[in-house]
Amino acid sequence: MITVTGQCVAAFIFGSTVGLLVQRSRWCNTSALRDAMLFKNYRNTKALLVAMMILTLGFTGFISVGNGNPMRFDVGINQFIGLFLFGIGMVLAGACTVSSWVKTGEGNIGALWALLFLIIGLFVSSLLWSFTYWPPAPATMTGQPNLAALQFGFADALTLQQKTGIPAIVFGLIQFAALFGLYRLILRKERAIQTARGQVQPEAAKSSPQVDAAMPEPAIGAVMAGGAGASGSYQEEA
Amino acid sequence: MDLFKKTLDPIIALAIIALLDVFLFVIVGAWTVGGGETMLAGLVAKYVLGAKTLARIPFWTLVFTPTWAYWKIYISLGMGFGAFVAAVLSKEFYWRVPRHLSEWVMITIGGLLMGIGIRLSFVCNVSTFFGLTPEMNLGGYLAVSGIVAGAWVGSFIYKKVLEA
Repeated sequence: MITVTGQCVAAFIFGSTVGLLVQRSRWCNTSALRDAMLFKNYRNTKALLVAMMILTLGFTGFISVGNGNPMRFDVGINQFIGLFLFGIGMVLAGACTVSSWVKTGEGNIGALWALLFLIIGLFVSSLLWSFTYWPPAPATMTGQPNLAALQFGFADALTLQQKTGIPAIVFGLIQFAALFGLYRLILRKERAIQTARGQVQPEAAKSSPQVDAAMPEPAIGAVMAGGAGASGSYQEEA
Repeated sequence: MDLFKKTLDPIIALAIIALLDVFLFVIVGAWTVGGGETMLAGLVAKYVLGAKTLARIPFWTLVFTPTWAYWKIYISLGMGFGAFVAAVLSKEFYWRVPRHLSEWVMITIGGLLMGIGIRLSFVCNVSTFFGLTPEMNLGGYLAVSGIVAGAWVGSFIYKKVLEA
């Protein structure tokens, strides 16, 4: 078992590496969703899918051999509602939890402001929680469905493995295939956009696999111009 | 170093992050940010309001007891530190300040919505995409549906504001 100090040190090393890589690659979770919806730009979406494919295999693989620390908390309708609000908020703020820290590290006052109000938002909701006591606190979670509180109990690859006796990696492979399918779909869509713009001939697209990775030039230019993650309108004017 | 001169391919960056995240999952738990930020909110509130006042809010005794000995805080601080180092080494560190009032308003509302959303769902975008969904948690699927729907609505509002 790792000590608390060890956990904190490992977390800091992990966080620093993530901060460095995200800053250098200008990846952003917000633009992974927003750019795909608004501008049909899939640069960040593809990277997100690749990470999720690796993680699905890694996590379910370790769960299969009885290793790893999956999050254990009751699944509830609050996850949908909460992330719905979060989704609106991150597009408006032009930063998610990752990019707000990364951009603050780059000297972006707007991101620091978002972080400040995120913390205020967390505190306000802690006051609300103290009146409603909903959603239930992790300490009171039983892992069993509690429909009165709109909670469905634990439900993940580990519970699937325990209930069915089938190793989690089998389910992981199914999810991997689904994510890979989505990735392929995006590549096909990108190729269709490039063909429509007359940048790539359809025959060339078929014969050369490298075309898949190539982004339309104007799009990538726009991403660069936008600074880290190209998210948030305040980036361009800085 | 080339790393600090050219933009890194996000697929390579995210693949490295994913491998590190698997390692973190084995030793402590998957990458998450919301939990650490909640703890930071508690620590800030404890400093501003005092421990006595904070103890009267049940959330801070029943759900999160403010403490610095919580690993998730250091992921957040590390991200800021790592980005600062990377920005300085690649000469990309400079103060950027939003110019228009509309930007400040959007960032303020967006930040508040993110904070409320994290608290309501017990997860953030990072634990959704890099923790729960790869763990095949049903909550992750609910959260992904929520964030995609929210981002769609947000994009709609963002577009309206840009056009205005």
